[in-house]
Amino acid sequence: MFKQYRRKVAIISTGIVLYEGLLTWVYPVIAKNPAISDIAQSLPSAVKTVFGVPAKARTDTFEAFISGQFFARIWVMLMAIYGIETANALLGRMVEDGSIAFLLSTPVSRSELISTQTAVLISTNAILVAAMIGGVYFGTFCAEIDIEHGRYVDLALLGLSFFSLIEIYSLFFSAWFAEEERALTYAMGLTLTFYGLDIVGGLSHKCSWLKNLSLFQWFQPQEVLEGTTDPLGPIIGFSVASVALWYFTKKVFEAKDLPI
Amino acid sequence: MIEVKELTKIYPEGRGIRDVSFQVNPGTAFGFLGPNGAGKTTTIRLFMGFLRPDSGRVTINEYDCWRDKTEVKKIVSYLPGELHFIENLTGVDFLDLIAGMHGDHCLHIKKYREYYVKAFDLDLKILIRKMSKGMKQKLGIIATLMLDASVLIFDEPTSGLDPLMQKVFIELILEEKQKGKTLFMSSHQFAEIERTCEQAGIIRDGKLLAVQSISLLREAEHQTFEIEVESETDAQLLKHSQLNITPLQERCFVIRIAGELETLWLALAKVRVKRFKQRSLELEEAFMDFYR
Repeated sequence: MFKQYRRKVAIISTGIVLYEGLLTWVYPVIAKNPAISDIAQSLPSAVKTVFGVPAKARTDTFEAFISGQFFARIWVMLMAIYGIETANALLGRMVEDGSIAFLLSTPVSRSELISTQTAVLISTNAILVAAMIGGVYFGTFCAEIDIEHGRYVDLALLGLSFFSLIEIYSLFFSAWFAEEERALTYAMGLTLTFYGLDIVGGLSHKCSWLKNLSLFQWFQPQEVLEGTTDPLGPIIGFSVASVALWYFTKKVFEAKDLPI
Repeated sequence: MIEVKELTKIYPEGRGIRDVSFQVNPGTAFGFLGPNGAGKTTTIRLFMGFLRPDSGRVTINEYDCWRDKTEVKKIVSYLPGELHFIENLTGVDFLDLIAGMHGDHCLHIKKYREYYVKAFDLDLKILIRKMSKGMKQKLGIIATLMLDASVLIFDEPTSGLDPLMQKVFIELILEEKQKGKTLFMSSHQFAEIERTCEQAGIIRDGKLLAVQSISLLREAEHQTFEIEVESETDAQLLKHSQLNITPLQERCFVIRIAGELETLWLALAKVRVKRFKQRSLELEEAFMDFYR
């Protein structure tokens, strides 16, 4: 099953590494020009929120630069879309088009099958996250930028647990509906709702309570990279939620009527 | 043995099967016939534990097909009616995957499959997404037969195969039967059921109408002929014979006969026949009575 996703994972990983390489390559030029930092500093907090930069965060560090340019928005959306699409392809699509019938006609239980699909999902997620670290380490080494390496590992673990939760709830919708389109719509809709709540909640104080309804409030790359927040709590929270939801997904799939 | 007892499964939209009961004895073959939407595939999905029965139960070798579905699949191999594969794999990858999922039997399966690959003359190196419908059907049949399971379940196995390959399939099925395997096969091909099965069940609108022994059906079989005669006089002569005649056109008739054909030959000896055609297979006619 993993074999099927090798090419896709390799392409996305390469893209991540190249993009990070590009960012680390241009950063020294930007860092030497204080005007750019002044412009970033002068942006209204609402605009910063849209780009995933915390309102009171610094704008003159490499961490601020790479968070704003990649981790806070592009990386999140890339990984979320990959996770949702892959979870759906591994279960919802296979049930709907019937290709799971051959697999389920072997002496492998539904529980073992969904465990395998989850392992493919999480391991490809881990590879993409590892590519993120590899790209940053390689780029910063080549461009001679000093970074706190440990904090990138923290961010990777936070990303892994966060994206895993998105993947598991996408898998849950696939098991629940046993139908590709509805599962995809719900998973995508829920993720965009969380994302939208995070953005709208950051635009004004009046709406800030909306942030509390979003999973994204626990995923703040720049704060993790600058060491102003401890990601351990969210990592544990996302992981526990993923395991609990996965267990429930397994139970739903075991009892589901499959029209295959 | 496959044992189906008062099996009911109704889908939310109202289709399904109701109170179906029959059994398939070990080492015998059972043909399952019925029009589209009659409930054949639903019954097979219940065998495979893909659906949970609303009531009743189905067991294969004493294993409950829903509760013990993993155990059931150790003794069953299954060919779905609508074939969909993991399209990015080649034929070899797919067969390896299925063999691997059978754990300990994997090596035995890989050895065994060569025989079927040769019989169907299939190039396994091709990507499945580039295979034609017929090639995919062959691949599915190979994946089912290579497992050497004691119970074989086929859902319309020859749809998509050319006549030559249909013949190969029937020969392979007869070989499997000789090995003492139990066979359950849904089909629209009356000929293949007639050639391979000892019993046939007919399902319509989710209800099992009859389970018949093929040999008994043969004894009571009707044969149907389409006959056109030269003149009006010949037509009148035929009409006044003792045959079961249904007029089709002015000088064209359908004659249905049970048992020996002597009466037909005697009647035809008195007229000039322009066209003579056996209309359909005998068993097909017997089953069509249930469909009507």
